[in-house]
Amino acid sequence: MSGFEVLNGGVLSTIQDLGRVGLAHSGISEAGVLDELSYGYLCKLLENDFGANALEIAFGGLKLRVKGEVVFALSGATVEIKLNNKPIKMYKTYNAKDGDVLEVGFVTSGARVYLGVKGGFEVEQEFGSSSVSLKEGIGGRAIKRGDFLEFKPSRSSYSCYLKKEFQPKFETPIELRVVKAYQWDMFEDSQKEKFFNNTYEVTNQNDRMGYRLKGEKVFPLSGGIISEGIAYGAIQIPPHGEPIILLKERQTIGGYAKIGSVIRVDCFKLAQAKQGDKVKFRLVELAEAQKSCKKFNNFFSQKVIR
Amino acid sequence: MRFEVASVDSLIIYFGDKISQDIAKEVRGAFFALKAKSFFLELIPSYTSLLVKYDFVKYSYDDMVELIQKELECVNEVEIESREVKLPVYYGLEVGLDLKSMAEIKGLSVEEIVSLHVKKEYFVYAIGFAPGFAYMGEVDSKIATPRLANPRAKIPKGSVGIADAQTAIYPKESPGGWNIIGRTPIEMFSKDYEDFSYFKVGDRVKFEPISKESFIELGGKI
Repeated sequence: MSGFEVLNGGVLSTIQDLGRVGLAHSGISEAGVLDELSYGYLCKLLENDFGANALEIAFGGLKLRVKGEVVFALSGATVEIKLNNKPIKMYKTYNAKDGDVLEVGFVTSGARVYLGVKGGFEVEQEFGSSSVSLKEGIGGRAIKRGDFLEFKPSRSSYSCYLKKEFQPKFETPIELRVVKAYQWDMFEDSQKEKFFNNTYEVTNQNDRMGYRLKGEKVFPLSGGIISEGIAYGAIQIPPHGEPIILLKERQTIGGYAKIGSVIRVDCFKLAQAKQGDKVKFRLVELAEAQKSCKKFNNFFSQKVIR
Repeated sequence: MRFEVASVDSLIIYFGDKISQDIAKEVRGAFFALKAKSFFLELIPSYTSLLVKYDFVKYSYDDMVELIQKELECVNEVEIESREVKLPVYYGLEVGLDLKSMAEIKGLSVEEIVSLHVKKEYFVYAIGFAPGFAYMGEVDSKIATPRLANPRAKIPKGSVGIADAQTAIYPKESPGGWNIIGRTPIEMFSKDYEDFSYFKVGDRVKFEPISKESFIELGGKI
């Protein structure tokens, strides 16, 4: 059997793909990779389909030993990586052979690193996806020392590399584009001005479910609303007045007013933010937002030509 | 019917702005009608609304609104049968963690709380928050109780709770702030169920009190 023996699982490393869609009416959250941009490039480098699984490594600290042989690559947050104690590059495919040791250090910029292998990992799917949903206990759990991540052996006679100029950078302040949504009309102009003219900061309450920010407080005209379905990127304003942006592992329904929604492709940027990072919001029209997201989809969902 | 943008790829339809079974039935009718079509990626019905995720590469927001309006035109005339579901619950003090404190606050006996909970038929307004978690309403105003000021870190699987006028069952062990009055041995979430959830939106639910012995016989754990 070929695969990675886990010598150290890191801070929080989980298998993810594009998640579960179409099950939210049963209360099952979407889950899936948080940064689809870094992940998308990884799929391209490995000539995997957009949708193949990868290991999402939050903050780093991972150590693996290869059994068999494999073509792998890493993308996402800036981190030092070593193969048999020698530094190797991000966004480049490598061949590894039996006994090789791959080490991922701790991130210096960004928050999540993606490790992919050619063809994806051989893990069992649950509800049509191999994504781990931590809170729900669906799709498994975070990997730990002693686990074995199986893959089909692969080998390549060439190496693919993504030019530095295309590699995602994690600059702050992060600008998040927002579309008017949900209870937009429940917020007075003075509140909207505060929201869009101030800079917010990522708190330590940030995870796969959502990011809580701190900064200028905003309030809707009335408090709670009747619980309703929550879309990816929705910006909840709970009674404390500080925004929470809901990401892939969000609860399916909730009862807080929402001032708008961060557009998909910008949620990917937010997912690379760490505590203390600065965030700014910018209002965009729906048509413009859909155009940006379409561009992303068209680029990454193209089938690989083999 | 009022449409609003929910996000770059989703919209939300509001059928009203008050919690009522009539509005919930409209939501449910729309949910089943749209679910039968393949062009919606995700549908989340709740008390007064239906969230729709769509393929924004293929459809603009305006196209989608028009399409949904057309699909829903005939729905109001279709009466969709709602299921009557019974759920066995053991209302013992060792599993009804808040029965005693509720009795004190409400000036009722534990038996009265249980009988008020059992007496009514409940309507499933929404499934969500966690897999298989069904929001049901409304409990008798005499036993409607606000959430605990200090939520519990662990509520046992199968616990039956009350929060204000709502009642629900915890499908798995989890943290939570509902007032716990009993426990069911029935699985709320399973791969064996259609849509994985024991309850469906629109079900009419009656709780049936059972003895400790039956609870254990049915697979319940104290």
